[in-house]
Amino acid sequence: MMENIQATLNRDPAVQAAKPIKMKSRNVTVHYGAKQALNGISLDIPEHQVTALIGPSGCGKSTYLRCLNRMNDTIDAAKVAGEILLDGQDVYDPDIDVVELRARVGMVFQKPNPFPKSIYENVVYGPKIHGLAHSKQDLDEVVQTSLRKAGLWNEVKDRLDEPGTGLSGGQQQRLCIARAIAVSPEVILMDEPCSALDPIATATVEELIDELRENYTIVIVTHSMQQAARVSQLTAMFHLGDLAESGPTEKMFSNPDDKRTQDYITGRFG
Amino acid sequence: MSDATANGIADTAAARPPRRDIGIKKRYAAERRFKIYGIIAIAIGLAFLVMLMTSIISKGYTAFWQTEIKVPITFSEQVLGTAEQANQSQTKLLMANYPQLARDGLVQLLGIDPANKQAVNAANGLISSGTRVALRDIVMNDLSKIGTTEDVWLYASSELDSALKGQYDLDVPENRRPISDLQLQYIEKLEAEGAIEQRFNWGFFTYGASSRAETAGLGVAIIGSLYMMMIVLVLALPIGVAASIYLEEFAPKNKFTDLIEVNINNLAAVPSIVFGLLGLAVFINWMGLPRSAPLIGGLVLTLMTLPTIIIATRAALRAVPPSIRWAALGLGASKNQTVFHHVLPLAAPGILTGTIIGLAQALGETAPLLLIGMVAFVADYPATPMDPATALPVQIYMWANEAERAFVERTSGAIIVLLGFLAIMNLTAIFLRRRFERRW
Repeated sequence: MMENIQATLNRDPAVQAAKPIKMKSRNVTVHYGAKQALNGISLDIPEHQVTALIGPSGCGKSTYLRCLNRMNDTIDAAKVAGEILLDGQDVYDPDIDVVELRARVGMVFQKPNPFPKSIYENVVYGPKIHGLAHSKQDLDEVVQTSLRKAGLWNEVKDRLDEPGTGLSGGQQQRLCIARAIAVSPEVILMDEPCSALDPIATATVEELIDELRENYTIVIVTHSMQQAARVSQLTAMFHLGDLAESGPTEKMFSNPDDKRTQDYITGRFG
Repeated sequence: MSDATANGIADTAAARPPRRDIGIKKRYAAERRFKIYGIIAIAIGLAFLVMLMTSIISKGYTAFWQTEIKVPITFSEQVLGTAEQANQSQTKLLMANYPQLARDGLVQLLGIDPANKQAVNAANGLISSGTRVALRDIVMNDLSKIGTTEDVWLYASSELDSALKGQYDLDVPENRRPISDLQLQYIEKLEAEGAIEQRFNWGFFTYGASSRAETAGLGVAIIGSLYMMMIVLVLALPIGVAASIYLEEFAPKNKFTDLIEVNINNLAAVPSIVFGLLGLAVFINWMGLPRSAPLIGGLVLTLMTLPTIIIATRAALRAVPPSIRWAALGLGASKNQTVFHHVLPLAAPGILTGTIIGLAQALGETAPLLLIGMVAFVADYPATPMDPATALPVQIYMWANEAERAFVERTSGAIIVLLGFLAIMNLTAIFLRRRFERRW
């Protein structure tokens, strides 16, 4: 495993270079009814980097991710407090429209969830509702560029009118990524995007994530520490609603400061 | 490791441990017992269904055939007046004694002496007195027929019809049956001449209410039921779907919406006659809308169907996987867009099925309609939903109260028609569900 990490890091010398902060959260707490799920998380997410959120089940990493584009709003019982800034602007500010926020901060879910419509319709839905493309020509172009970026174009270009649900699991997940990048978001949140995929599809998606980093800021929740090591430049370790530790992935996996991180990555619990 | 395996194989035959009794036989026995119970339950249900259907169909299928007699009718100028007179004023033509034409024709056909009153009366009893309308329509449509003679198929009286269909016991003494020996002789004569025939009873579907069985039909009831179904569909579907979408997707989950939900579920269990009382009090007494009108019936049935549609729609909405909602919301779709672009289309088959089942329920509903006066003798087609009409189940109820033998077959015949409509609606529901169901 260490060779893997080392290889990833060597491949990417930009890791150490400081990047501007895209999203900043300060003292974020979340309550589900009476139960507190997050206890004051403060984390910086740098631009054009992949930030991995790791930790054992129920530690709050998905909850935190869903705060970043306010998906927690859809859960009645969830109460979010604290500050989450996107380019210095509080996303929970009443002036910020949640629709606009989600157009800027896209999301890919754990289970591939394409709409039960054609591949074409899946990709153009976002641009259509946001009025980003109108003519057939524009829409065709969006479909092609998005599917190309998601590495799916060559596999589906001849069957764009077939249902998106008919693709294989890995293709479906890449379709969901294409759908998310079709609205040109700045940040893409991924909630365990590979947990429902087989190893080969996982490898394809991981490669894709690495390529997407050039244009987008990516936050990924993952159960797999190997995956965190392979795709991320920064890692944040969550434990029981607390942020145990965060820092460059290399350091986290070779020399963690926190005992809990050390125990988790060496497989002593989790 | 390999040694142990080799030994294991060698020793199996000799040293296989005795099988543990973990109750496998009992488990399978329980399973078989349960299967048998299920098969018995289904068999009992099917047996009752078959009994019911056999009873209804065996009693009712004859209602779709009606005996008719071919009678040479002379449209005599003595009775009708001349064509010139008719051109000037139709009063005489409207009031003319058409049954006399029919009687004269039949008397001539049977070769009876017109002076023999008893024989003439017996012959007259073989044709329906409803011939008045049929003959009048022939003349009114073509005045040139006056003065000519033409063979016309006339409805036989319900006594003749019932006798031919074997519904009377003809072995009892003459004075104890509605058809006399003389009439039976005439029938044989007519049969020999091929002037008597069982023909498909279109009148059963087109006539309105009548005190004579042979001219009593379901026409008004079918139109009334159609009007009501249209009103229910137009009102209950949009209201029900809108209410469900609001409750399921938008409403905050609190005590108040819980209360509404409980009440809607209870409303579905309210006896339908209570809705009839409500309709009587609100629509007729308070709002002053006309009685016996399909409009009121439709409104009452709408109230009755709403809970069914709301419950079915909410179930259909809840069955749409939340991941579809997240996908749309995650792309920045508003709640409204999420619901109308994704959730509603996916729930549509369920909603349609629920609606059609609600409609079918409303179609068969009788009790509330009795209370708002739809149990009426309506002979004319309702031109608008504001005109008096009856409904199919109410017509069945009314005919079931008639004593005459011919109404018994009509009651069962009407039940067959109603069941036919219900079957068509349910098949439509199944078809729509198959057609629009999507997999995800």
